[in-house]
Amino acid sequence: MAWTKLKAGFYSLTGCAGDLLRILNIEDKLLEIFDKVEIMDFALASSRKVHGKVDVAFVEGSVTTQKDLEYVKKIRESSNVLVAIGDCAVWGGVQASLTGVDAKELMKSVYNTEENYYGFLGEHKAISEVVKVDYELSGCPIEAEEFIELLIDVLRGVLPEFKDYPVCVECKIREVPCLIIERGEACLGPITVGGCKARCPYNNTPCIGCRGPVKDEANVAGELSMLLEKGWKKEDVVNRLKLFATKYKDVSKLIKG
Amino acid sequence: MAKEVVIEHVTRVEGHGNIKVLIEAGKVKEVKFEIYEGPRFIEKVLVGRMYYEVPDIVSRICSICPDPHQVAAVEAIEKAFGASVDRQTKMLRELQLLADIISSHALHLYLLALPDYLGYPDALSMIDKYGREVKMGLELKRAGNAVKEVLTGRSIHGCTVKPSGYTRVPTPSELEKLSDMLKQSMEGAILAVKLFSSLEYPDFARDENVFMAVDPGEVYGFMGNYILVSDGERYPVEEYRKLTNEVAVPHSTAKHSSYKGKPFMVGALARVLLNGRKLKGRAAEMLKELEPKLDALNPLTNNLAQAIETAYAVERAIEVIDELLDKGLKQDVEVKVKQRKGVGVSAVEAPRGVLYHCYELDDEGRVVRADIITPTAQNAANIEKYIKVSAERLLSIGEERLEGPLELLVRAYDPCISCSAHLIKVVKIR
Repeated sequence: MAWTKLKAGFYSLTGCAGDLLRILNIEDKLLEIFDKVEIMDFALASSRKVHGKVDVAFVEGSVTTQKDLEYVKKIRESSNVLVAIGDCAVWGGVQASLTGVDAKELMKSVYNTEENYYGFLGEHKAISEVVKVDYELSGCPIEAEEFIELLIDVLRGVLPEFKDYPVCVECKIREVPCLIIERGEACLGPITVGGCKARCPYNNTPCIGCRGPVKDEANVAGELSMLLEKGWKKEDVVNRLKLFATKYKDVSKLIKG
Repeated sequence: MAKEVVIEHVTRVEGHGNIKVLIEAGKVKEVKFEIYEGPRFIEKVLVGRMYYEVPDIVSRICSICPDPHQVAAVEAIEKAFGASVDRQTKMLRELQLLADIISSHALHLYLLALPDYLGYPDALSMIDKYGREVKMGLELKRAGNAVKEVLTGRSIHGCTVKPSGYTRVPTPSELEKLSDMLKQSMEGAILAVKLFSSLEYPDFARDENVFMAVDPGEVYGFMGNYILVSDGERYPVEEYRKLTNEVAVPHSTAKHSSYKGKPFMVGALARVLLNGRKLKGRAAEMLKELEPKLDALNPLTNNLAQAIETAYAVERAIEVIDELLDKGLKQDVEVKVKQRKGVGVSAVEAPRGVLYHCYELDDEGRVVRADIITPTAQNAANIEKYIKVSAERLLSIGEERLEGPLELLVRAYDPCISCSAHLIKVVKIR
């Protein structure tokens, strides 16, 4: 059977473009990666656009504007597999921490007008809130290694398992002293999904939860009470939880109080 | 009859932007550089948060220049607190900015701009004929990213950058490895200068321009407390409002800037024109030879300025690492700063030009107000001005297909649309 390349599209909604850039930053394997796929659409890197259905669409960014919404629906229609990449696509991104703030107030505070010039939807949505998503690869930005693993699986016609363990596990593996126990830091490692090799604690700074919570398992109430015991103010802990996980059900419950 | 030329979603730039030109009876009636990147209200995200969260959040504004955003934030916060940092921290910050210049310029020159001049849709398609160039470009980009990875823990959205210092200081052996990588990448930087000096820059975009850059002091660099303007003026960064003078325009999520009523340009060309005599080493030699090619009237030559600057950044980064190693690195620096109520303004040079951060903090160290003005927001009006100049010129010589040249022009500014769109705010008259 003749080898056909995997037809892949790389799309960007509202965000910093960091997940697509993270792919371009895999300098040592980039040529090898793109030897295996046919790029159908990658506006950040190429002027070439091939029309037609794609085998896999990698989509970064939050659904923030009417344009994003229409675009992501079109992408869904023209792709067999849709993968949301990065925290914005999976959880709505840092901008989603503004969920609940009145859209007019936001427009007024930033653009000095209450008129909705830019087709702002009123909130920043995760892709799964608007279309069916086949796989979610979180991270802010995504980890190169996880992307490569995912791509290899997609090439084999399967999707990887979701990680179900927190960053703490990776601290143990790398023998990083616990920042909560040793220093009383507001580390979100216990509720944040692993896969980053405990990047932040390894660099001597607490996890801020950029990969999002361990789905269906993160014990937000436990994290909060532990940090309150360590002397943290509730306001600051909630702010920290909100930054990347506003849309996680236990966090939204907490915000609504 | 009226005709509208529309270039939707300019490719090979970061973010989402359109170019629209309205032509009536062979004359350019109106031009718009439309930025339709979704608004993220980042400054609103910051309000009420503690000062130490700021660098981690502002980094998310942009993946190509997270480092200048972080450095600008910590410097402004320290000014608000009246705090100072030691020489080692200052040097590490310089190294972080240099690394971002290297990776960002390498990305732009080799992967985004070069395909235009060689007639390809992207760098990957060039591989058969220009394999060496593409590989050296990637090597150069990798060296910049490697420095960021070591220094900040990650090539995009680093996590170690805090007011008062880095949570983790690199080890001597990590720095030695980086120095070796940088030395190897120098060839890619020099090749970029060769490539971009051998190109013929079309002259459809010629006009008088105004430039602005941070005054780096004695050594060519990317931090400082004053802004230099090409009309000979020099302003303290605290007067940034006067220099940027933002005005809202309905067709863009980025506001437009003007100085004394005129659009101005920031970025590599502005820096090299205003501070080029402070360059050293190979970059200084190359500038001497290539100076006539850097055309203040033609923004397309920004690419050549970026290339010269990349060569400087590689050599300077090696020098900074040598000095850090010579002096011996102080590890386990405690990251701690004394909070107090205040306002702080900083300016750093991001790859695309001057970046301002301003914070008002309360006595607990909570953000009361944040104000960030990005280079692309400042350049937006200048880009529109040159789209108009170029469209008129092209029409006058009977050129009918404006799309290609106009996209080339916009790309020369290396616009970072995520940055410009998310950060525009109310102009408060105080």
